[in-house]
Amino acid sequence: MLIPITVLLFILPALALVILRILRPNFRFFWLIALGGGLLGWISLWIWLARLPLVFQLPRWQPADLFFHAPTFTADGLSWPFAISLGTLALSIVLTAVVRQDLTDPMPWAGALLLTGVGVLAVTANNPLTLVLVWAALDLSELLTQLRSVETPEASERIVVAFASRVTGIGLVLWANVLSVLGGSRLDFASMPADAGLFLLVAAGLRLGVLPLHLPYASESKLRRGVGTAMRLTSAASSLVLLTRIPPGSVASPLTPYLFVLVAAAAVYSSWTWLRAPDELAGRPFWVLSLAALALASALSASPAGVTGWGVALVLAGGALFLNSAQQIWLNRAVLIGALALSTLPFTLTASAWDGGAPVFFLAWPLLIAAQTMTIAGFARHALRPGSRELLDTRPSFVRIFHSLGIGLLLLTILILGFVGWDGALQVGNWIPALLVFLLTVGLVWAAPRLPFLNPIRAHWIRPSGASWVDFLYRGLWSLYQGVGRMSDVITNALEGEGGVMWSLLFLALFISYMSQVGR
Amino acid sequence: MNAPLLWIGIPLLVAALSLFIPNERFNAGLGGLTALSLSVVALFIPIDSALLIGPISLKISASLQIFGRNLTLTTADGSLLVILYGIAALWFFGSEAAGVARRLVPYGLGIIALLVASIAVEPFLYAAIFIEMAALLGIPLLTPAGQMPGRGALRFLVHQTLAMPFILFAGWMLAGVESSPGDFALTLQAATMLGLGFAFLLAVFPLYSWMPMLAEESSPYVMGFLFWGLPTITIIFGLGFLDRYTWLRTSAALSSTLQLSGILMVVAGGLWAAFQRHLGRIMAYVAVVETGFAILALSIQPPARALEVVFLSMIPRGLGLAVWALALTILLRRVDSLRFGSVKGVARTYPLAVSGVVLAHLSAAGFPLLAGFPPRLTLWEGLAGNSLLLAFWLLIGILGLLTGALRSLAVLVMAPEYSPWGLGETWVQRIMLGVGVLGLFILGLFPQVVRPLLENLPLMFIHFGP
Repeated sequence: MLIPITVLLFILPALALVILRILRPNFRFFWLIALGGGLLGWISLWIWLARLPLVFQLPRWQPADLFFHAPTFTADGLSWPFAISLGTLALSIVLTAVVRQDLTDPMPWAGALLLTGVGVLAVTANNPLTLVLVWAALDLSELLTQLRSVETPEASERIVVAFASRVTGIGLVLWANVLSVLGGSRLDFASMPADAGLFLLVAAGLRLGVLPLHLPYASESKLRRGVGTAMRLTSAASSLVLLTRIPPGSVASPLTPYLFVLVAAAAVYSSWTWLRAPDELAGRPFWVLSLAALALASALSASPAGVTGWGVALVLAGGALFLNSAQQIWLNRAVLIGALALSTLPFTLTASAWDGGAPVFFLAWPLLIAAQTMTIAGFARHALRPGSRELLDTRPSFVRIFHSLGIGLLLLTILILGFVGWDGALQVGNWIPALLVFLLTVGLVWAAPRLPFLNPIRAHWIRPSGASWVDFLYRGLWSLYQGVGRMSDVITNALEGEGGVMWSLLFLALFISYMSQVGR
Repeated sequence: MNAPLLWIGIPLLVAALSLFIPNERFNAGLGGLTALSLSVVALFIPIDSALLIGPISLKISASLQIFGRNLTLTTADGSLLVILYGIAALWFFGSEAAGVARRLVPYGLGIIALLVASIAVEPFLYAAIFIEMAALLGIPLLTPAGQMPGRGALRFLVHQTLAMPFILFAGWMLAGVESSPGDFALTLQAATMLGLGFAFLLAVFPLYSWMPMLAEESSPYVMGFLFWGLPTITIIFGLGFLDRYTWLRTSAALSSTLQLSGILMVVAGGLWAAFQRHLGRIMAYVAVVETGFAILALSIQPPARALEVVFLSMIPRGLGLAVWALALTILLRRVDSLRFGSVKGVARTYPLAVSGVVLAHLSAAGFPLLAGFPPRLTLWEGLAGNSLLLAFWLLIGILGLLTGALRSLAVLVMAPEYSPWGLGETWVQRIMLGVGVLGLFILGLFPQVVRPLLENLPLMFIHFGP
């Protein structure tokens, strides 16, 4: 019962905040309620550690002979790190909110807590049925929140397109289920047919925007630091967790080398854009993309712990960077712990990233190392950037304390998870590429201020629609759509026109002729 | 007390009375309460067995003889009555919010009563006549007083009327088939007649043209009511044929015919839904696809499983269409037409109605978390067990539905820059839409809540089912 208790600890305060906002808009303790909820949820997640693995099952769907799985949630050595990282992020969002806003509007905190509750459900989903249900809940809530936050028709349309790409990811999981049924079994994370694993991988890649490379959500809206960060990172974590559930053997296919190259190319492109982004919020979609691509590469090399490491680093290191909205020199330096989390050095969060059961395709190695280097260098650049952030030292002492505590919690969790609590803790891993990446990163950070082409690009260059070849693909699909649409118009006009009944009867006669042949 | 009198006679009487009630709210309340009461009675009082309430013994007899024919409702029909009148109550209560209570309650209640009569009549072939009578009542329902019926309404009537002689002819031939089962030519002729009759009744591709045509000329709410009621009962009627005639049930061509016609409806309806630029027409095509799903489900092996899948989708279909039709009607009262050009950006002023449209559409497409997902999942799995090709074509149809839903959503949310958000729906409309949408989510997350209603339905077809 610990799983539902934790989820309720996040969701109930969120609902209380919404109700209080409606009934008592002048209520003075919104922030304390949010903090209480976040803190209790976070503590309960640490309590999980003493009781792993945890299982929570909802009543089975009926009739039982039609439904083979009940919605089930499991916390184990791979899902717990995701859950604790989401819980820590939620608590940090509330703690660091003292810097960003007045404390009278609780809606962003309610949104963050609610997303975290659903996110914890997503990362603990134990079968594809449960996962698609939670994905759908996340996608609908994100759609609603995003639509409320944009003002232009073009932005609204982009949000719907983003929603469509996520729905396609859900569809691929369901198609993997169909393939399993055809093979005589039901899709289950524990016993997955060989060809289904690849579909799940592509489904996760599609939702994350890596396969094919695209931004799976609209460009950053006015939801910036707080709830925007929760939305971006929770959504990514909920997709990445699928990669940890794919059995290592089920992604081995003749297509795997091609997928390696595609994923590595996506990683290079997104990490390059991330490195040159004008600020961390403008580059945030590419932060998610580059780490998601690296996680996909780990999944292809059969390393579930590696996927978890990248996913948790995405949330924790990303959270520390994006929530650090006030300038303070020591805090900025401390945020570099996040760079350590990405290094894949021994005893760090991502130590097991390149230590999978299958080899990395040799052509992908240089690309992946380049991508990892640029991701870390970009992180360091954004963390240390003087920028236009306001100075923390000029704020009241309670603001300084809570903000530092919020960022510190994320960084502390990064360090702790390097050593305890999950399947990828206390690992030496593949240290040779890690060392190479470390040296290259040092070189790149040194070179960045000295080489003009490494300087930030303008914000409007970061287009929401991704690479031009993807545009070409979409234009082709659009032409196909219009062509089929014109054909459907012709048939519709024939059937609904004056001679429609006659056309129908003619078709029916043909149909009966055909069926009578089949009957013989 | 007599079951046919209770579930056919009383609603017909109330329908006739409500014709003289001019008040929208009173009409909606009367229709809703009547249907709800009949549903509750069917839920708690068994047919043809005594119920002791203290010293009082209550028994509802099963049969009533009228004009030499029997109308019989048995215990096995009880669950169907609960569902039919329960969903009808939802439609009638919502009719005030849609502003069509004065038309929907009298004619709608009459249609439901006639459709129940079609299930109850013996010999069961007479059901075709009751279905035709229900279709005739559909004309004043679709056409406001003082107006001429549109082309869609006339074509609807033509198609439903053409169905009747085919089915009656088939019935006449079936008697011959039973006496000489080896006569292949006669069997083929009877099967063809029967197939044609059902093709007209169920609006099988390409005989569905009246549905999108109606969508452009009638109130979405009354149209939705017909799209729910007629196919639901026609499927039950068709199951009756399969249950009664062994040769039909065991025919080798049955499964392939059902699969081909079902998949044609799903693919054609799905693709057409993806290209429409009128929200009402999209709903019409989705109704075509839903019927296609039901026909496809009938082809699943074993038949007992097929029945379970068919019945599982019955309530989600009724609820989804009710929410969708209500939402469209609310929008139509504020805009010129349901064409994309007219409804562009209305999400900002009617967010609940737009949510209703989009969620009902997504539910029909089998989006997880919504009522349509469990039945679509079981259908997909059932077909995949037989053929990957069928499962693939089903995927194409579903993709068409999803494309239609996403296109509609994109148009509905594309408001002019800096348009403020508001709640244009009335309180009654908000409550009705809220309840409906909540129902879609509950059925999507916990489909087992309706299991008690569904588990006895296969008993209506003892040969075909369990």
